[in-house]
Order: sequence, then structure tokens, then C-alpha cells
Amino acid sequence: MNDRAENTLLVLPGLALLALAFFVPITQMLILSVSGDDGPTLAHFTRFLGDPYYLGVLWRTVRLSVLITLICAAIGFPLAYIMARVGPRLRLWLIVLVILPLMTSVVVRTFGWMVLLSRSGLIPDMLRDLGLVGRNFAIMQTETAIVIGMVQVLLPFMTLSILGIVTRIDPRLEEAARTMGCSFLQSLRTVVLPLAVPGIIAGSLLVFTLSASSFVTPNLLGGARIQVLAASIYRSVTQTLDWPFAAAQAVILFVGILLILVPYARLAGGRSNG
Amino acid sequence: MVKSISTPLRIATMVFVVFTAIFLLAPLVVVVGVSVSESQFIAFPPSGFSLRWYEEVLGSDAYVGAAWISLRVAILVTITATVVGGAAAIALHRRKLPFSSALATFFLSPLVLPTIIYAIGMLMLWSAIFGPVSIVTLWLSHTVVTIPYVVRTTLAVLSESNPFLEEAAQTMGASRLQRLWLVVVPQCRPGLIAGAFFAFNISFDEAVLALFLRKPGLTTLPVQIYGQLEFSPDPSVAAVSTIMIALTITLILVIDRMLGVQKFASA
Repeated sequence: MNDRAENTLLVLPGLALLALAFFVPITQMLILSVSGDDGPTLAHFTRFLGDPYYLGVLWRTVRLSVLITLICAAIGFPLAYIMARVGPRLRLWLIVLVILPLMTSVVVRTFGWMVLLSRSGLIPDMLRDLGLVGRNFAIMQTETAIVIGMVQVLLPFMTLSILGIVTRIDPRLEEAARTMGCSFLQSLRTVVLPLAVPGIIAGSLLVFTLSASSFVTPNLLGGARIQVLAASIYRSVTQTLDWPFAAAQAVILFVGILLILVPYARLAGGRSNG
Repeated sequence: MVKSISTPLRIATMVFVVFTAIFLLAPLVVVVGVSVSESQFIAFPPSGFSLRWYEEVLGSDAYVGAAWISLRVAILVTITATVVGGAAAIALHRRKLPFSSALATFFLSPLVLPTIIYAIGMLMLWSAIFGPVSIVTLWLSHTVVTIPYVVRTTLAVLSESNPFLEEAAQTMGASRLQRLWLVVVPQCRPGLIAGAFFAFNISFDEAVLALFLRKPGLTTLPVQIYGQLEFSPDPSVAAVSTIMIALTITLILVIDRMLGVQKFASA
């Protein structure tokens, strides 16, 4: 046996598994998305894109995902920066703080939000007691509930993505900026933030993709009336049993994600190189 | 650095961290609270203290059966993903195969594709070829989505390892198999362990593939919980959820013992 044979043997099981159990299923789905009763058709796509209801679902998905990504970045950047600059003991606790929710099932975390946000739950109760909202105030079954739940689910991804980059920024750069007369916030804005851009971008890409394609949290917190695209796909598969239509929606979801992400990544790549 | 920050800013930082901590932990704390409630209804803060919902869960065939399926799938997935992914990472690291970097991208590709898209494809393909889904479907698909994690963690460890150890072993007359098993695999160990933890955790907690690839009698724990939440949540859901949280905490403690949480988090 030579080196080539040994290496081939080592990759082969994984290669075969991914080819047969990953690429073939995706191909099958692509084929199904354009198959009709008599030959190939684009009917499933035109049905989706010609229906105001589904366009509304698509628009809500994009809108909520952008909002969720922005909020995650706004909380994730300062959190990651703090994690990178505190002492080792506190850092360990903060990492556990981020990892524990991350490693807990999404279903469990969403259940926690269902309890907190329900009509008689802690948060609406508190807002009512403070007099901030009226008696009939409800968060459950609204887009706000989806955003709150999804930000909690996805914030750890954003924070860890940014943390990976921020820990590599030399603190002496900030010290230099401070010595030259920058205030702390100025050094943060003009030194740390630009250097952290690759992490923020990687985190945003991840959070946006995960947000646009999730349905467990939106279904449970938003209810049946507030549908997002992934929830609509799930319904087509399990309730209306219209698989070709589900496949077409999945293709639209993926193409949509790519259409938003590729220019964003390119723009960002250009900026961080230049 | 921290010394030169003004007091108001330091207070603002503390407030921010505390609020973020509350935000991240609140849903977990609430679930634990509900699980020990005496009341029939889901309420937080809980009224009274009782372990009756845990008794109910441990006596429920639906929950125990689902837990058993989740555990079996997760163990199978952990073993296959670690072996298959680890082997692939070793070969990829050597960069001696044609199209090495394309191959590496190929192995990481399941990370990029949203799981829901893969889940539909798997369901459709399996139904077309084999008919009803089975535990094998779940096993294969969870292995596919966890292999990239093992490949990534193992490659990261190998890139910092000493490449001459293997050569040294060869010079000393070690056979191919001996070199692989006694030199390379031990070098990969931290990466393989981290990857195995990822695989177990993802498979055990995963709901998307499990929701698409389910049938009566093939319900994992997250799917069982999801079903309860959609229809009739009672505090027993909180008790199962608390058990899952406890498992996660145990996993984190073990990871910290074996690798250190910080290393794991940066993987």
C-alpha cells in the first residue's frame, strides 16, 4: 500500500456518505421542485411568486431575519469585546453564559419564552404593573415574540464569531490610540470596530441564514397566523403534503439567502482587504 | 486597559453584562422553575414545591421511549461521525490527495446549507427509495450534519501538531497501521473529543431533521417536547426540559474537565 491508497481509504467513507446521503437528497429535492404531473414545470415557483400571501410570508422572513441579525450584532459586539478584555476568571463565566444556552435544545429555550411571554407571564405582567402597556397587552403570537426568542437563540453564534476575531486584536493598538488622545469610546469605534468587521460579518452571515431557515421558534412563539417561509415549508410537507411545492419553497429560501449573502460577503470582503 | 475606563462607563458595562446574562439565562431558569411547581398549570414563579412532574415524566411511556430513541441515535451518530470525520480530517490534513482544498470544502458543506433544506431532500429521497423513514434515516442524516464539526475540530488540532513525529515513527520502522494508530490518532485526540461532544450534543438536541424524519414510534425527545408545546403543555414538559438542561450542564462540566471550555468555545 502506498500513501495515496492510505489517504484515499481514509477519506472514502466520509466521501461516500456525504455524496449519497447529502448531495443525492439535495439533487432529488431540486428535481422535485420542477416536476409536475406531466413533465418538468415551473408551476410551483410561479404559484409562490404570484400569490400575495406567499410574497408576504417571504417579505416577513427577510424583514425579521434582518432585524434579528442587527440586534444580535448590536449586543454581540460589545459582549464579545468585554469577554476578550476581562480577566480570565470572569471570561470563563461569560463563556459558560454563552455556551450553556447554545448547547440547550432550541425547543427547550423556546418553551421558556412561551412561559415568560404568555398573557399571564412574567414579562407582560411586569409591563402592565409598570403601567407601560394596557390591560389587554399581549406579546405571544406577535412578531415581537419571534424576534425576542430568535435573538436569544442566535446571540451565542454571533458572540462566538466576533469573539474569535476580537481576541486576536492586539490590546496595544488600543493603548496606542488612547496615548494619542482618543477617548475609550473613540478607540473602540476607530480601532476595535474596524478590526472586528470580519467577525461581525461572519456572525451576521451565520445568524441571518439560521434565522431565515428556522421554524421551530417562529411557529411556537408566533402561532399559525404569523407564518415565516420555513414554517410554510414545514406545513407543506407535514400538513398539505404538497412535496413539490415544499421543494420549490426550499429552493426559493436558499436562492433568497444566497442573493442577500453573496453581495454582502463580497462587499465586506472588499472592505476588509482594502 | 480596564483601569483607564471612567466610572460611569464601567457601571454601564456592568449593567449591560447583567442584563445580557438575564436575557440569555431567563428561559432556562423559568423552565426549571415551572418543573417543580405544585400547580396543574404552567406558571412562573412556581406555586409550592413538588417533584410530581418528574414522577409523571419517568412513568410516561411517551417520554421515556422518546428519550431512549434520542439517546440511541445520539450515541450511534457520535461514534460514526467521529470515526468517519476523524479519518477524513487526517487524510485532508496531509494534502496529498488531488483536489485537497476542494475536498475540504466538500466535507464542510453541510454547515452552509440550512438544515431544513437538507431535511426535505432526505425525506423525499428516502421515501422514494426505501419508503417509510426509520432510525437509520435519522442516524445517517445526523451523521451528515455533524461530520463537518469533527472535521473542523480535528483539522484545527492537526494544524498545530508536530508533522515530524510520523516521519520519525516511519524511520524507526513502524508500519502504516502502527503509525496511524499509535502516532497520528493520539495527536488528533483533543480534536476528536471536541468533535464527538459537538456530535452528541447536536444530535441529541436537534429538532429540524427529527421533525421531518419522524413517524409514530420514531419520536426523539425534542420532537416529543415540540408536540406537547403545540398542543397541551403542562408542567411535565418543564420537567423533561429540565432534565435536558441538566444533561447539557453535565456535558459542559465534562468538556471543561477534558479540554477546557474556552478551547471548546473557540472550536
